[in-house]
Amino acid sequence: MKVALLSESPADEAVLRVLVDAILGEPAKITPAGFRARGWPNVLQVLPAVIRHLHFNTDVDTLVVTCDSDDSPVHTEAHEAPQYYHPHCRMCQLRAVFRQTSKRFPTAHGRLKIRRVVGVAVPALEAWLLCGRDSDVSEAAWINGQQAGRLPYTRAELKFRIYQTERPSLPHEIECALRETERHRSDLRRLEYDFPGFAALMKDLKSPAQT
Amino acid sequence: MHSVNVIDTVVFHNFKALRNTSLHLSLFNLVIGPNGSGKTSLIQALQQLRTLSQFPLGNDMIHTRSGGPEISFTFSAPYSAVVAQLGCASDLACDFMRVESRDAAAWLKVKSRLATLRSYVLDHNAMAQSSAPVDSTALASNGSNLAAVLAARRRDAPEAFARLEAELLRLLPEFTGIVLDEESDQRVRFSLGIDGAGEPVRAENLSQGVFYLLGLLVLSFDPKPPAVVCIEEIDRGIHPRMLREVRDVLYRLSYPASFGEKREPVQVIATTHSPYMLDQFRDHPDEIVITQKIGHEARFERLSDRADLPELLRDGTLGDMWFSGVLGGVPEER
Ligand SMILES: [Zn+2]
Repeated sequence: MKVALLSESPADEAVLRVLVDAILGEPAKITPAGFRARGWPNVLQVLPAVIRHLHFNTDVDTLVVTCDSDDSPVHTEAHEAPQYYHPHCRMCQLRAVFRQTSKRFPTAHGRLKIRRVVGVAVPALEAWLLCGRDSDVSEAAWINGQQAGRLPYTRAELKFRIYQTERPSLPHEIECALRETERHRSDLRRLEYDFPGFAALMKDLKSPAQT
Repeated sequence: MHSVNVIDTVVFHNFKALRNTSLHLSLFNLVIGPNGSGKTSLIQALQQLRTLSQFPLGNDMIHTRSGGPEISFTFSAPYSAVVAQLGCASDLACDFMRVESRDAAAWLKVKSRLATLRSYVLDHNAMAQSSAPVDSTALASNGSNLAAVLAARRRDAPEAFARLEAELLRLLPEFTGIVLDEESDQRVRFSLGIDGAGEPVRAENLSQGVFYLLGLLVLSFDPKPPAVVCIEEIDRGIHPRMLREVRDVLYRLSYPASFGEKREPVQVIATTHSPYMLDQFRDHPDEIVITQKIGHEARFERLSDRADLPELLRDGTLGDMWFSGVLGGVPEER
């Protein structure tokens, strides 16, 4: 498998590299230079160009895209129904871009389509990092909070729990993020169970190639 | 409570385009807006404050004048009882200052912190020059004594120099070290070492961005920095993907504890024209000041004062929102 990554920051990308290897159970061939978006909705804006570029100009077969959900609606089981599309759900939106962009692609470099792998961290990547460490942090807790109109934590709080400051330097951010990711490397089950937005990424990554 | 800010508010009356506006300064302030909208005027006002604060206070009655430009400053706790008012003969020359304070000792404390205020418009051509070792403790406002400052830092604060150098090499991994040479006329010149047997790259052959980054690092790793630092165009010459690192270099000044530094925070007033730099402040809109210019009049606004900020961030990045005009702070077109 030849994998390219599109993420929102160097720290997100560092975590993603570890998680992709852990899911595949073997080191994947991940392209050294990751694609970068400047947060939402810039991810959505650059994604078609990244897909086209990879399809026609490279032999990469898999594109992993992640973003934070922030305060957008969370992708739920109901969204998985055929033909369903939630216009504000980031998972639904990113998947739709994959679908529409590669709809009429001819076969190139021996494959029909780039494998679509989408993960959405609810509400931010730091929640994945805290999974299994802080028991109050989960996608369900966030959804319950959204429904009750009282969020269990803020993005800023999650960041502070990991970095111990509101303004981590980039090396500090990456170091802390990788330290927390270590917990998931050997056992992804908790992350998969507590964060369906990560489970979806796992499922996509293990799906068969479309040749 | 002892606040880490030095200057709390600035109120302008008829100072250039700043006819009637005020600004609360935070510890870290990134000022954005069109050209001629008051970003530089704000920094000039702070410089005038620094200059005039160092003279003995004159007799108010003689100097009081009405109608001319006026700028008044208040200071953060525990000096919040001090008010300094500048009067200006013209836009360029403020020539008197009146201080209102019930506490003379408080003013002396404020004065000593203001004495260290520095403002920078770095100039890569000036920074590439060799420099005389005199007067090399503080970086000159255009950075022209960079080589001498580096040499002095290495001599007087080797540990701080080593950390500065390590950070430079982390940010620009193509280099292996800072090389300082004293020339026969005692002037200091610097170059940057590269991997392998190649000759170090002499200053005059380095790219603009390297100078600006080096200048910011010299300020940020200063073991005894000024209490207030103003820096214009912090994004100049820097690749957009590196702007997060530039933000962090400046954050090191204002939030030393977050960066493992054991010194007082520095109040920073920085300007930029880069939407990508603005994107770096998504989590801290309270640090963004927008200058709005309408006709000949300009005023300041804090981004965090916008009630609809959460909705705006849902629709686009801060940089995109600024470019679109939704945040204001764009040039007028006719
Ligand atoms: Zn959905």
